[in-house]
Amino acid sequence: MPIVEPSLVTVKREEKLELDGIDVSGDWNTFLEPRVHTDLDLKIVDWVRSQPQGETISRCWQCGTCTAGCCMHTDYGLEEFNPRYFIYLAQIGYEEELRKYAQTIWRCVSCNKCVERCPKGVKVEEVVHTIGTYLEVSGGAPESPADRFDRAYTENLLARGVLDEAALFRTYERLEGRKTPARDLLRLGFTMLLSGRLHTGPFAHRTRGWRRMRPVLTKILEEEERARRARVEAPASRARGGSPGRAP
Amino acid sequence: MNPVLVLGGGPAGLSAAAELASLGAPALLVEKENYLGGNPKRWHYSLLAPDLKPAEEVLGELLRKVEGNPRVETRLETTVTQVEPAGKGFRVSLRTRETLETREVGACILATGFDHFDSRRKYEYGYGRYPDVLDFKELEGMIHDDRILRPSDGAVPKRIAWILCVGSRDLQVGNTWCCRMGCAVSIKQAVEIRQKHPEIDAYVYYMDIRTYGLWEDLYWKSMQQYGVKFIRGRIGQITMAEGGKRLVATGEDTILSRPTEVPFDMIVLASGMEPGHGTQEAAKLFHLPVGPEGFLTPKVADINPVDSGIPGLYLAGAATGPKAIPDSVTEGMGAALRAFQYARD
Repeated sequence: MPIVEPSLVTVKREEKLELDGIDVSGDWNTFLEPRVHTDLDLKIVDWVRSQPQGETISRCWQCGTCTAGCCMHTDYGLEEFNPRYFIYLAQIGYEEELRKYAQTIWRCVSCNKCVERCPKGVKVEEVVHTIGTYLEVSGGAPESPADRFDRAYTENLLARGVLDEAALFRTYERLEGRKTPARDLLRLGFTMLLSGRLHTGPFAHRTRGWRRMRPVLTKILEEEERARRARVEAPASRARGGSPGRAP
Repeated sequence: MNPVLVLGGGPAGLSAAAELASLGAPALLVEKENYLGGNPKRWHYSLLAPDLKPAEEVLGELLRKVEGNPRVETRLETTVTQVEPAGKGFRVSLRTRETLETREVGACILATGFDHFDSRRKYEYGYGRYPDVLDFKELEGMIHDDRILRPSDGAVPKRIAWILCVGSRDLQVGNTWCCRMGCAVSIKQAVEIRQKHPEIDAYVYYMDIRTYGLWEDLYWKSMQQYGVKFIRGRIGQITMAEGGKRLVATGEDTILSRPTEVPFDMIVLASGMEPGHGTQEAAKLFHLPVGPEGFLTPKVADINPVDSGIPGLYLAGAATGPKAIPDSVTEGMGAALRAFQYARD
């Protein structure tokens, strides 16, 4: 199958584009994201401080003692797990950058070496987990292909209570915005059909009583989503109004 | 006994005069301005780091010992224009706007102090051009009067930045030394503002935080208790944005390794300490050697920091380098004792 990664080859057609009087119309396919950090925001650090486990975050002065001794960072070698950096991003409110680590942040194994060694008494392990919680309840990580697959899977399952592999593939392709060539699709379909792993069309399974089950499940999912939103919004608004002079 | 001449009415000079009087020696306190109290008085310092005691309280104590003391003769708006040896001591000419008088003194103490760096020389920060870029000595007066308002439009600022080491540790302006006070005073100002106005966000741009010794406590408290934020990186320039309504500080966030351009309502420059005009004049008058930084240099700094090397001439306070008020007061006492011993017999 050919590799089609849309995010790498997006072409933007500019019919009429002029920069400083020079005509630069045409196909543009290379865009550099600006690296300049342009704002400071106290939203995250205020939220973290408002949580009982997170209130020592404001003590951090970025010495890096925690990261130097971190099991994950140093011993296990997971370079992107850097508790000092997570704390800094939260302190300056750089949410976009922090969100890239929304998954990684949970790799902490709570050995608590950082807490033991921190010269400023930051409860690093608790603070990092609080930052992770913030990211989790405020929208999680940026959607990855795996997340989109999960979404397609859930949608597919909710439709009939049982998986339809062909429909799943179609939905996922739509979410990813890619198209697999027909020849490859046919070959894959036949192989799966012959080995008894494709249940679609006339071979599709059904779930008895699904029409009654489905609203129950949908309602549960909706309630969970509502609870998740309430969790992040309520403490954040409390934190903003709270006294910043409060000693932890 | 001829009086001991104390040149300069700041903390060190006041302390020296007060101490001489308590030793029973007459002191002749000469000050070029029309008030006593030196730079702290001139710029209306608010609270003094690290104990956050009002400057008036600290200065007031010294002033009480000097003013009205029969052993201290105070001459305001007076400068020394000529010095020559006379016996063991000196013969000095005191000049006011109208009069010129010659006096014999048993010994001299130079407590001529420092001047704040003129932030206009750091042109890239726009001090003097942008009204909302302040020198921290001006903010000190604002805090003292509790009127934290933007000079440009009188609005209450939402976000203030402090830039440390303005005119310090900077080869471009020729000042390679650390002013020792900038970190502590800036942090103290941020704490004072956060105490009174928690709705104002405070950010400090730093290369190193040098709240030395026990002053470290102030730094720790500022983060923990008052939520002052610290960003590592030296601001390269200040520009105007939003149609000239808001300042933008451009620099590198060296922890992020990224350029940063953040808008602020007010930016405060922690201007360094330079040898004062009086100190430079005194060096010429007494033919004293100065160090590469322009401050007076004690003969043997580590054994007797107040001896100039010329018999009967002593040094105290920020004339020999950036100094905190407690250190200046201590040196004033030391110089008074040495001058008393010299002039006594």
